[in-house]
Amino acid sequence: MLQSYTYNDIESFMKSKRKKEEPGENRLPAHRRPRTKKKFKLLAVGEGLDLMFLGLLVLLLVIGLIMMFSASYPYAYHRYDDSYYFIKKQVIFALVGLAVMFGVSFVDYHYYHKAAPFAMAAAWLLMIIVLLIPTEDNAPKRWLNLGVFSIQASEVCKLALILFFANWGSIYYKKMHTIKYGVMPALIVLGVTGLLLYLEPHYSGIVICLLIVAVMLFLAGLPLKYFFIAGGAVVVLVFILATTGMLTYAMSRMDGWGQALEYTTNEMWQTTWQTRNSLYAIGSGGMWGLGLGQSRQKYLYLPEPQNDFVFAIVCEELGFVGAAIVLTLFAILVFRGIQICSKAKDMFGRLLGVGLMAQIGLQVVLNVLVITDWLPNTGISLPFFSYGGSSMIMLLAQMGIVLNISRSANIAKE
Amino acid sequence: MDKVLSGISKRATALLILILFLGFGSAACRLFYLHMIMGRELSEKAVDQQLSDTTVSAKRGTIYDRNGNVLASSASVWKVILAPAYFENDSQRHYVAQGLSEILGLDEKDVFELASKSESYYQTVKRKVESDERDKVLEFIDKLGDKYERLTNVIVLEEDFKRYYPYNDFAASVLGFTGADGQGLAGIEYEYDSYLTGVPGRIVTENNGWGTTMPFEYQQKEDAQDGNSLVLTIDETVQHFMEKYLKQGIVDYKVAEGAVAICMDVKKGEILGMAVENTFDPNEPYVLASDEAQKEVDKLTGTEKEERLNELLAKQWRNKAISDSYYPGSVYKVITASAVLEENAANLNSTFYCSGSYVPYEGVEPIGCHNLSGHGSQTFGEALCNSCNPAFMMMGKALGMDKYWEYFQSFGFNSRTGIDLPGEGTGIFFSEPWGPVDLAIGSFGQGISVTPIEMVTAVSAVANGGNYVKPYLVKQILDANGNVVETTEPVVKRQVISEDTALKMSEILEKNAAEGTAKNGYVAGYRIAGKTGTSEKIGNSRKKNVKDYIASYCGYAPANDPQIALLVYFDTPTGDAYYGSQVAAPVFAGIMSEICPYLGIEAQYTDEELKYVDTSAGTYLSMELNEAVAAVEADGFEAYICGEGSTVVAQVPQSGASIPRGGKVVLYTTENSTRETETVPDFTGMTVAQVNETAYDYNINVSFSGAVELDTVYSYAQSINPNEQVAPGTVVTVYFGNNDVDDTVM
Repeated sequence: MLQSYTYNDIESFMKSKRKKEEPGENRLPAHRRPRTKKKFKLLAVGEGLDLMFLGLLVLLLVIGLIMMFSASYPYAYHRYDDSYYFIKKQVIFALVGLAVMFGVSFVDYHYYHKAAPFAMAAAWLLMIIVLLIPTEDNAPKRWLNLGVFSIQASEVCKLALILFFANWGSIYYKKMHTIKYGVMPALIVLGVTGLLLYLEPHYSGIVICLLIVAVMLFLAGLPLKYFFIAGGAVVVLVFILATTGMLTYAMSRMDGWGQALEYTTNEMWQTTWQTRNSLYAIGSGGMWGLGLGQSRQKYLYLPEPQNDFVFAIVCEELGFVGAAIVLTLFAILVFRGIQICSKAKDMFGRLLGVGLMAQIGLQVVLNVLVITDWLPNTGISLPFFSYGGSSMIMLLAQMGIVLNISRSANIAKE
Repeated sequence: MDKVLSGISKRATALLILILFLGFGSAACRLFYLHMIMGRELSEKAVDQQLSDTTVSAKRGTIYDRNGNVLASSASVWKVILAPAYFENDSQRHYVAQGLSEILGLDEKDVFELASKSESYYQTVKRKVESDERDKVLEFIDKLGDKYERLTNVIVLEEDFKRYYPYNDFAASVLGFTGADGQGLAGIEYEYDSYLTGVPGRIVTENNGWGTTMPFEYQQKEDAQDGNSLVLTIDETVQHFMEKYLKQGIVDYKVAEGAVAICMDVKKGEILGMAVENTFDPNEPYVLASDEAQKEVDKLTGTEKEERLNELLAKQWRNKAISDSYYPGSVYKVITASAVLEENAANLNSTFYCSGSYVPYEGVEPIGCHNLSGHGSQTFGEALCNSCNPAFMMMGKALGMDKYWEYFQSFGFNSRTGIDLPGEGTGIFFSEPWGPVDLAIGSFGQGISVTPIEMVTAVSAVANGGNYVKPYLVKQILDANGNVVETTEPVVKRQVISEDTALKMSEILEKNAAEGTAKNGYVAGYRIAGKTGTSEKIGNSRKKNVKDYIASYCGYAPANDPQIALLVYFDTPTGDAYYGSQVAAPVFAGIMSEICPYLGIEAQYTDEELKYVDTSAGTYLSMELNEAVAAVEADGFEAYICGEGSTVVAQVPQSGASIPRGGKVVLYTTENSTRETETVPDFTGMTVAQVNETAYDYNINVSFSGAVELDTVYSYAQSINPNEQVAPGTVVTVYFGNNDVDDTVM
């Protein structure tokens, strides 16, 4: 066996594999093989897309669109005199996203190998640009407005981090236990990213990025002891920031965390308004829900029901059963995604795919915990459900990568 | 390489398990907890927040008099509500504050302050807004909607009701008044509040976060049930006369502390009138009706002012007729006499000797009679007509303490009458231990206190063959559609004396009113039975060394078949006259002379009285002069002709006006002859014959009021003041009475 793994190692490894499977075949990598040799199949078995994954994804996307529409139309009507204000845009985002996804699913993921460091740099650059754009009234600087839609810098950053560490891990897999290759790059990249997000500020972004990096390092084989050390360090850091008062914004978001139902002060009552009404919505759903479209809480009680709190309306309208089905679909998606990607033929593919799926899973879990008041209300959207162009397109593009991995992954397909 | 890849796969599997079980698992648990365990609690809170429960006021029932005249009714008004939470900035607040303050006549600053309560959805700007102002507010809302699209819900008009009392201070003490929320606070309004209020309706709608209705058919409407209406036993006309005479009496006798008159149907217990003066206007119950009281309050400041104001308000709302207790004085002799007769402690033939004073109990100071020289020997009836205190002390002694106390109870003086009004007081007996001296003074009505309603009810029992009936004010309760829901049935509580005793008492009391001390209360033709009373007031007098009195008169008519009883009561007359016979009796007579004919009580004139009975003038207009004269004479009048024409163009008195038999009817034959006038003479202090003579000389007609068939009466008042210029033939009512004092106090 090889002592260390490089891109070339993996490539040659894969060539040898393929050679065994398909004697006499072209020695070129899969993506370089002439297309004529293979029948084009959009949803092909064999080397085609994973149909189960794609099916789940489309199902969730459709449910997400329906529920987002149901949740948003009263607010849209009230705010913009147009019930379809959000859904019109979201459908376009979804269509664009699907197109991007299919497009990306044809792009051999190995291209991202070398692009990874540049992607990271580009993400940082974007975050710096965002910081330089003035906003009103000290509003967080998170968005780059491109006219048609805005890009949330952290969305790009999440993908960049996954790419970067998938690349890094696939190259320095053997050295992951060392400080130099295992810990230092993580600290540097996280430090820069964290600093930029802190300046925006976007604390939930920091949390997500931290978790993504942790997942990537864990997958790449970073010894567990470092996780415990890092965990301790995070606790200490948060403690220091909190005591020095630098965490005021985050704290203001965390104020009232877990106390949404108890009246203390008028100000607090206003602060916890959104969370409280989210809980009301969930509780109103009961076992079977009020029925599709029958939510009461979306009638201007739950502020911005199209965004992070869309799942609260899902809970209200579809009940615990509906919410559990949606969660189960997400869980199966994540399961299938990780199942596919962990069978990818090379290290980069596995790290990249599992990382991407882990991100989806993390966001779903964190979102549900936020709307149920187990985590502070910090702005974590629900994939495929929450309104937002950059999030939708980025997520679908990422799913495109997973689909591409599925094309080559050694997994039985129907 | 395989090892490496399988390592990743292992870690990926571990990660998958971590995410699925720890992540999704905890999320699912949390959701399960919120949905299934917290669900009920949370959904209730959500529903609380979503449902808007609007109360629809029920219309308060109307209060009618016994003939269907409206005494109190409710009409729609509106409440202006501000929901400041909708405001986005101060310029909007200023705009609305300015607009509303202009329309509603409020201070702009105050409205702005309300508008600044930015969390609130309900700030009451003004209540009881009437329809003209409401229309302006509606216009303003439209204008506001055009200007600021998002402010359409900021002003809300809620329907409300306002209570109107069309006759202002008429029967105010009986009716009471209502508070800001339409709740009865006094009188009938309070006592029958639950009937009058009705059941407010509710509209439950599901509202969105902005307070407007949601697109669900969740509206539940319960219509308001309007309140029941009440038909009182009060007769507007009777009440009107009672109030009119009381008001005049208060002025004439400089009465300081107000007056009460209660008229009661002795058979049923219906209260036909209950006048309390001076009273207040229930339309504005918090305004002091008396200018003097207002001035007094204005002089004060701070808490002192507030306290005094509250005190005076409580005083003006107080229904003296049922709440005030007073020494009944000689009126109570009716009760003592009834008890004595009933118990056979004395009979009509018993005689009582009055030497001017009496020692009721050995070793105590003699107690004097008002007639210091003494009434001499008197029969039972004479003793009552003389209102002789020594005679009654003797009767009391004969009756004994136990029986005295028994009759005090059975006539209802130590228990409330149970009239359907709030705040009824009760009489107070001597405190234990009480003795023979107490018995002596109690026999003529001193030392024990009663309320006016107790007194009139007790006297009614005597009038009603000894049957004590419960007085009441509400005759019928009607539902919102006017159907009778409840009718009050008269309640005879008990028989307190036998019918025989009652008849004897009526005979004596009729005689008393005809020629005894109560004769100033006499009304020709109506067989009045009555008794006067003058008593020293309980408690402190207004000034040192000046005694305050209560002058009262209680009687009923007709004596042979009693139908109505009337009590007149003046608290603290401060003029020269303060005796019941001087103050209360003429007012009693005045009221009786009006209400007896009105109530259809048939007049039974004696021959002597018939001479003074008024007759209606006929119509002589357009007649030939000789024809007209013949007609006038045929009607029993004398014709007096003014002018040189041959046809009657005008006449005085007008057709239908009452003039005594033999009075003059002036017939005008030319238009300008009506300019002729006569000067009204001063009739004061004349006898009946002198008045007649003078009136004839002045070409003026006189209507006689009082016990004119007696020789001992003199005129003391006239309806048109002396020296006024009037047309010939005008009728001047002259009031007769005498200045005999009836009774005294210790």
